[in-house]
Amino acid sequence: MKSVNQEAVEHDPQQLHDDLHDIWGNPKGLKALTIVNHTTLGLRFMITGMVFFLIGGILAMLVRTQLAMPDQDFMSPEIYNQVTTMHGTVMMFLFAIPMLEGLAIYLIPKMIGARDLVCPRLTSLGYFCYLFGGIILTSSLIIEMAPSSGWFMYTPLSSKEFAPDLGSDFWLLGITFVEISALSAGVELVVSILRTRTQGMALHKMPLFAWYILAMALMIVVGFPPLILGSVLLELERAVGMPFFQIAGGGDPVLWQHLFWLFGHPEVYIIFLPAAGIVSTLIPVFAGRPIVGYGWVVAAITIMGFISFGLWVHHMFTIGIPQLAQAFFSAASMLVAVPTAIQVFVWIATLWLGKPKMKLPMLWVMGFLIIFVCGGLTGVMLALVPFNWQVHDTHFVVAHMHYVLVGGMFFPLIAGLYYWLPLFSGRMPSENLGRWGFWLTFLGFNGTFLIMHWTGLLGMPRRIYTYEAGSGWEIFNLLSSISSFILSAGIAMVLLDIALHFRFGKPAKHNPWNADTLEWANTMPPSAYNFVSLPNVETRHPLWDDPNLPHTMAEGKHSLAVASHGRREMWGTDPITGKVREIIHLPGNSWWPLFAASALAVVCLSLLTRVYLLAGVFVIIAGIFLLRWSWENGAHPNAAPDAGVKPGDPPLHSRTMDGPGLWAMGVFLIANGSFFLSYLFGWFYLWTVSPQWRMPETPPLSLMLMGAAGVAVFAGAVIMEKLIRGLRQQRDAGLGAGFYTAAALGALQIGLTGWALWQAELSPTQTSHDAVMLVGLAYALFHGCLAVILTVLQGLRVGYGYVGVHAPFEPGVVALLWRYNVVVFGLLIGALAVLPRVIGG
Amino acid sequence: MERLNFTHPIHLTVGLTLWSLWFVGVYSGLSVACAVAPPAPEAGAVTLLNAGLGMISLIFTAGLLLLAWGSFQVAKQHRGRQHFHAVVSGWLYLFSAFGVAFAGLPIIAVPPCL
Repeated sequence: MKSVNQEAVEHDPQQLHDDLHDIWGNPKGLKALTIVNHTTLGLRFMITGMVFFLIGGILAMLVRTQLAMPDQDFMSPEIYNQVTTMHGTVMMFLFAIPMLEGLAIYLIPKMIGARDLVCPRLTSLGYFCYLFGGIILTSSLIIEMAPSSGWFMYTPLSSKEFAPDLGSDFWLLGITFVEISALSAGVELVVSILRTRTQGMALHKMPLFAWYILAMALMIVVGFPPLILGSVLLELERAVGMPFFQIAGGGDPVLWQHLFWLFGHPEVYIIFLPAAGIVSTLIPVFAGRPIVGYGWVVAAITIMGFISFGLWVHHMFTIGIPQLAQAFFSAASMLVAVPTAIQVFVWIATLWLGKPKMKLPMLWVMGFLIIFVCGGLTGVMLALVPFNWQVHDTHFVVAHMHYVLVGGMFFPLIAGLYYWLPLFSGRMPSENLGRWGFWLTFLGFNGTFLIMHWTGLLGMPRRIYTYEAGSGWEIFNLLSSISSFILSAGIAMVLLDIALHFRFGKPAKHNPWNADTLEWANTMPPSAYNFVSLPNVETRHPLWDDPNLPHTMAEGKHSLAVASHGRREMWGTDPITGKVREIIHLPGNSWWPLFAASALAVVCLSLLTRVYLLAGVFVIIAGIFLLRWSWENGAHPNAAPDAGVKPGDPPLHSRTMDGPGLWAMGVFLIANGSFFLSYLFGWFYLWTVSPQWRMPETPPLSLMLMGAAGVAVFAGAVIMEKLIRGLRQQRDAGLGAGFYTAAALGALQIGLTGWALWQAELSPTQTSHDAVMLVGLAYALFHGCLAVILTVLQGLRVGYGYVGVHAPFEPGVVALLWRYNVVVFGLLIGALAVLPRVIGG
Repeated sequence: MERLNFTHPIHLTVGLTLWSLWFVGVYSGLSVACAVAPPAPEAGAVTLLNAGLGMISLIFTAGLLLLAWGSFQVAKQHRGRQHFHAVVSGWLYLFSAFGVAFAGLPIIAVPPCL
């Protein structure tokens, strides 16, 4: 192994900073579109999220204007439905999640002592998918063709029969596009937190915010795929008539509700957890003492991450399910109050035992505590089935939801923005303007939504565009509407304060709140590489225990303070102990994410306009861009052709058998597995529950062909494992040929599966049975093709010298996909070909 | 083998994974049973289905309590990181056991398929 020039260590700190800036710095002009740096992209996410927040806020104002008085015709019913649907959709999908992801993308590497996220190009792809998906979705408002079936898009309201225009398609395609972004962020946040913490930062020493984001990211990975599947199925139904949700064709509209809420309820906690992470970060800082019960908070986060997946049916209590099943979900809904209460008591105890300073961020935290506790209490009320039945689909539910989401997410978010503002800009906000903003928002919010509880208890349903005079709801609606404008004024003041502070804010002193976490060891605003050198951190409060740490880090007195190799580098550490395992080298700025996202945007638009040929062409183009992107890895000249490291340092990750790509593939396969399990749920659900389900007398799928295809994919996977075992033992003879053999077996699997599909003569537009079967086989074929292409590329990379004993990393990543394909194909054979023969219709 | 030890952080997720499996199992088992062979409504909560679901719930509760006890025992033998993982896992096992018992309580009194 070559050694790198150590001269950089001898350089003065300014020289080191300049050298690192040359490697990590952001380009300007058009090339700014190639930036992959987490600081820049985190800010872009947040700024874009705020723009969508303003759009969603204006829509809310329109709703309140319409409802202020009875019998108003300010908006027609059609437009009102579009406005309410888009308000919910924009706030949930285009503001709340991307905004919090943006904050996490910005903060996590800084908090855990890393220089960037682990897959920077994926951050960039995620941002552009979010931006393009958001633009496509909101453009539907301009052409008055926005979705209008409610933000949860219940079938059959959103089906072709009752929503024949393009509104539902905008929602389904736009949201799926945006979800690529959420999943990208989810995958890389998980891997970054587990594998790139600075040296010594063991799992039980990492900042609580990282625990919260780890849980959130894992929940995104598991929770979003059911909705992606639901959206794919509903779009297929609308576009080509596959009757997944139509009773007459053997489908069931309730399946949509299950798939939506399998995502939708965890979504509430996906939004709440990072916000609670902000609160758990801020309270100790302003109380001037460590949090009381770090372990309790970790336990509470973990409980929320799991239990929140067991609540989805409490959104469906009125659809007619057995009482005992309702009781299970009612009990689980109450259980989730336990971890919430643990956190609330931990926060109160920390404030009680500390000496809290009521600075501006803390004002928002206190507002959060009051509002969120109220929202939690109405949540427990709604968990009770009889009460739920009474207030179902009334404004009581709307009020509860806003107490939980605005109280649980927006207030902590603003607290966090004020807290980290000096880090973003190097300047302090105005306390006066900020306090005015808080009080107007707090009073306006409670005036709007506290009153809305009563409107709901008086029986006013959700989503009605107007109501008659004399209904008894007039005064409450008027007060809610007036308060909503006070709320808007408060938010406008906050935004004004934030905008003005960039110009007029007082310059912030270093670490202005006397915080304990590593992000404050950055310069303000931060440099592109975060830290000149990466410290050994074995405490939960690095800056309290060593206030001088930011200076020694900036002087290059810790690790990886070298730039002469020209690579973007940071530590790859053990996920549990934080011991250094390898040096992770990151890719630089790249056009590929923008190109791939642009091609996917064309696919989205082509599907929307039903130009399927163009969509097919651009799917291929997007695939080519993504594969070209993957080509520039490992030992490629644009990545790390030279494996030299300082004597004593661990090897580069691409020269080991482990590394972030392997972990990213593993986490991606968890998401993929969630999609597949949702699919199996749909198959068995329709089979069991759908009243018109029609199972053919003779199962259409040939067991012999499917079995032979299964043997082929299994044999391919075995070859891949054998090749990897060889690489572990420093043998790479016949590596390329081995890859091509495995790819040939993969191709055989594809051929046999395709043959079985052709022979089955399915009628996917006639019965949901055939439609679900077709989707399953298409899924298997897609994965088979992906494995073949990636394996052939590995063969080519062996030829180019990018893969071999000297760079053995990549084959393990591809082999993971093969393993997944074997399991999935086996389950498909069991579910689609064997069980129907065993059980029958 | 280290993963089998209660000091491994995998145990932070095992208890709640078992709770999830129990939850999915009883919900889907109930749904399938009610769709395929629902017991007579007049039988109330005294049915084989309730008995089966109750038995499964008891087994899960007992197993989770045992795991909680094991975690707390191991936690006493360690300090630092390993103690932290074992003790937090112990509480999570205990909560999961409570979760099974609490959410399974209606099995005693509620008819299964009404």
